[in-house]
Amino acid sequence: MERPLLLKYLSLRMGIMLSLGLLLTACSKAPSGNAADFDQSYPPSSGGTLIDATAGEPSGLIPMIAGEAAASAVASNIFNSLLKYDKNLELQGELAQSWSVSPDQKTITFKLKPGLKWADGKPLTSADVLFTWKLVTDDNTRTPYGSDYKLVIRAETPDPATFKVSYANPYAPALDSWAGLQILPEHLLKGQDINTTSFRFKPVGSHYYKLEEWKPGERISLVRNPNSTQGPPRIDRLVSRFIPDPAAQFLELLADNIDSMTLNPIQYSRIVPSREDLQKKLALYKELGNNYTYLGFNLKHKPFDDIRVRQAINYAIDKQELIDGVLLGLGEPVSSPYKPGTRWTNPDLSPYPYDPNKAISLMQAAGYTGRDNEGYLLRDGKRLRFDILTNQNKQREMSAVLVQRRLKEIGIDANIRVMEWASFIGRFIKTGDFDVVLLGWGLSLDPDQYNIWHSSQQAPGQFNFIGYNNPRVDKLLEQGRLELNPDKRMKIYHEFASILLADSPIVYLYAGYGLPAIHKRVKGIDNPAPPAGIGYNSYDWYIPPPLRRNEISQ
Amino acid sequence: MIRYLLKRLFWMVPLLVGISLISFLIMHLAPGDITNSEASFNPKASEESRQKLRELYNLDKPIIVQYGLWLKRMVKLDFGTSFASHQKPVFWETKDAEGNVIKGMIQEALPITLLINVLSLGLIIFAAVPLGVVSAITQNRPPDRAITLFVFIGFAIPGFWLALMLMYWTGVVHDWLPISGIHSLNHDKMSAWGQLWDTLTHLALPVFISGLSGLAGISLFIRNGMLDVLHQDYITTARAKGLSENTVVYRHALRNAMLPLITILGLAIPGLIGGSVIAESIFAIPGMGKLFYDAVLMRDFPVIMGILTIGSALTLLGNLIADIAYAWADPRVRRGVM
Repeated sequence: MERPLLLKYLSLRMGIMLSLGLLLTACSKAPSGNAADFDQSYPPSSGGTLIDATAGEPSGLIPMIAGEAAASAVASNIFNSLLKYDKNLELQGELAQSWSVSPDQKTITFKLKPGLKWADGKPLTSADVLFTWKLVTDDNTRTPYGSDYKLVIRAETPDPATFKVSYANPYAPALDSWAGLQILPEHLLKGQDINTTSFRFKPVGSHYYKLEEWKPGERISLVRNPNSTQGPPRIDRLVSRFIPDPAAQFLELLADNIDSMTLNPIQYSRIVPSREDLQKKLALYKELGNNYTYLGFNLKHKPFDDIRVRQAINYAIDKQELIDGVLLGLGEPVSSPYKPGTRWTNPDLSPYPYDPNKAISLMQAAGYTGRDNEGYLLRDGKRLRFDILTNQNKQREMSAVLVQRRLKEIGIDANIRVMEWASFIGRFIKTGDFDVVLLGWGLSLDPDQYNIWHSSQQAPGQFNFIGYNNPRVDKLLEQGRLELNPDKRMKIYHEFASILLADSPIVYLYAGYGLPAIHKRVKGIDNPAPPAGIGYNSYDWYIPPPLRRNEISQ
Repeated sequence: MIRYLLKRLFWMVPLLVGISLISFLIMHLAPGDITNSEASFNPKASEESRQKLRELYNLDKPIIVQYGLWLKRMVKLDFGTSFASHQKPVFWETKDAEGNVIKGMIQEALPITLLINVLSLGLIIFAAVPLGVVSAITQNRPPDRAITLFVFIGFAIPGFWLALMLMYWTGVVHDWLPISGIHSLNHDKMSAWGQLWDTLTHLALPVFISGLSGLAGISLFIRNGMLDVLHQDYITTARAKGLSENTVVYRHALRNAMLPLITILGLAIPGLIGGSVIAESIFAIPGMGKLFYDAVLMRDFPVIMGILTIGSALTLLGNLIADIAYAWADPRVRRGVM
């Protein structure tokens, strides 16, 4: 019925062509009606509607089951967790007023804030928290996220404002996990099948907003929740339109039909700055994204079990070139698997510099002493030749091309193979049938990365698919899970990161910025963005009455 | 006639089972399943829970067993529920004990796709017939050349590119048409005529874009059909009788030249429910093309099978209808069938 390959090819060209088209078409719409000065400052006020666009539509609004980013984006405005991350990415109470860890570090006690209510006016108590925990650990609940919560051996509610969980062993990522579990109302869900309940299309939560209307395929609108547990937000209504195509989103932004979207580097640093009318109405922000891109080696395949080969490839790749070429400079190099600027990042580490001579001498030390007439390095008469596998992602494909060229310069023969995601995972990652992959990992807020790097996590379907195995790292990862003291934990993960960098099982390529553009009518946004990104205080954003759209403010 | 119809309908059943079996096998040839989606590639999602999901969806069973389970449900016309979209019913709405209605995915996506396809098919025929006729009667002269050039440009121009350019021109530079979506935000507050106008303006570009590429085929079809017919003896006879050129062309020639169009329209029926991924993505239209494409990427097997089954049933029906219509329109065929 369809032509996915063609589509892929077309979507690749689309960004380029659109940007060309926009640059060539110099004329633009005359300012309609009153030409408001959006740079003027106004005092904070309540009301107004913020319209944004998302590529995907949530499949349902029970985040533990829906799982996709679109669902969590909407649900995070509707539901609360016990804890949350503040602007500097430190844990803070959300429903919990305070929490305490027992001296043996095995029990955590949460005290809820007083007078919490659901949007329908019913009280929110520790029984709801207990109910949610039971749901997420229930074997019939179709969620992939239960494992953290199954470690709880006992959950109790001594009184309606207290929730107490005990673990068999101290489990440091526990606090992070309680920041990730959104609490659901027992009185509306009791006795229902969580997988099929219609609650997923008409959720009742406790956060700033409640669901106003959901038009399938078109939009979701949220309206201010008068019973919000976190106080009232300033903006009355949030509308998310579902627009799958980023170019169409950008056109809607240009036409002033949406207030915010995430730009790509070309739009951010080429199109918007070149047009005065856009600069007048759009504010650009830059926040550190939530993932990094890497080149990973299959450590079970020769010659990638040889640290010299891995380091040589690391030295041969120019990371700054990737950042400049792929991200137009809108990214940062990384040298540990954590968000730069947070406490878990080891400040003493720096990426492998670009040093082709060192790369060649390391390759020679690894036995690649010969050269064939095309200039490729030879060991026992054979080239080092492999496929770089990656999925259909424009930035990853472009990175692969630059990596391929740098490897060719030192005499390594790399091919690029691009695949659709599910085939990539099913056919190559799960079976371990790959040499080198170009992929990304999320920069998690909790430093625990046991699932990615511990040598026990190598079975098919697990996440240490590159086969990394270092006893010292195993030990550190185990210790890190048991240590709840942040300072001691930090030392553990700093050592972990430095061993990881030295071992070079992956080459860190870059961490790109998130590039939101928001209409200047929206005020109260922190610029520059704090570590948590601009969204942390979205409840404090406001749209002054003179700048509101008139057609929807009725 | 009735016997013939019953026979044709009866043979559709084994044919459908065969088609569904092949579709099912091909679908499973692609590596990966719902638990390999990009969202589940998250270290917080453990392999044990993913294995549990596979068991819940019977994905751990042999393919032929899975097909048997699917067929067993299909016999009761139960299309099942989606893996990826939170257990939404695939085909039609369901009602729970408290009377909450949950709409089916195809039920939601089909009307808009049908509307766009019917409109663009109408546009194609409306434009292609006159173009084809003019082309034929001015064969190899400038009008014919110009029309052929125009329809080929329309056919060759990348739809997504033209769509974006038109969206920019009519939506950003000028405030003539909405850019994407199918309704304005304040649609519900409009009068009935306002709502109709709102929907029509939203559909204008998508219908135009999806019609443009079909124009070339149909208009050339009409042109060649006309050329064939115009060289027949009975046209010479009509001319010899002294009939006016208009009567010859439109009464005698065109009606015969339209015959093959019936076959094409019959074959277009299944196409009516298949939307274009490109157009639907660009214009943010929640139609069948995008539903199917997303289902394939997510390995959402019940949705893929649901759409394929309905599509193949409609293809078979479309063939049947085309044959019947042919028999109705052409006495020579009628005698062969009945």
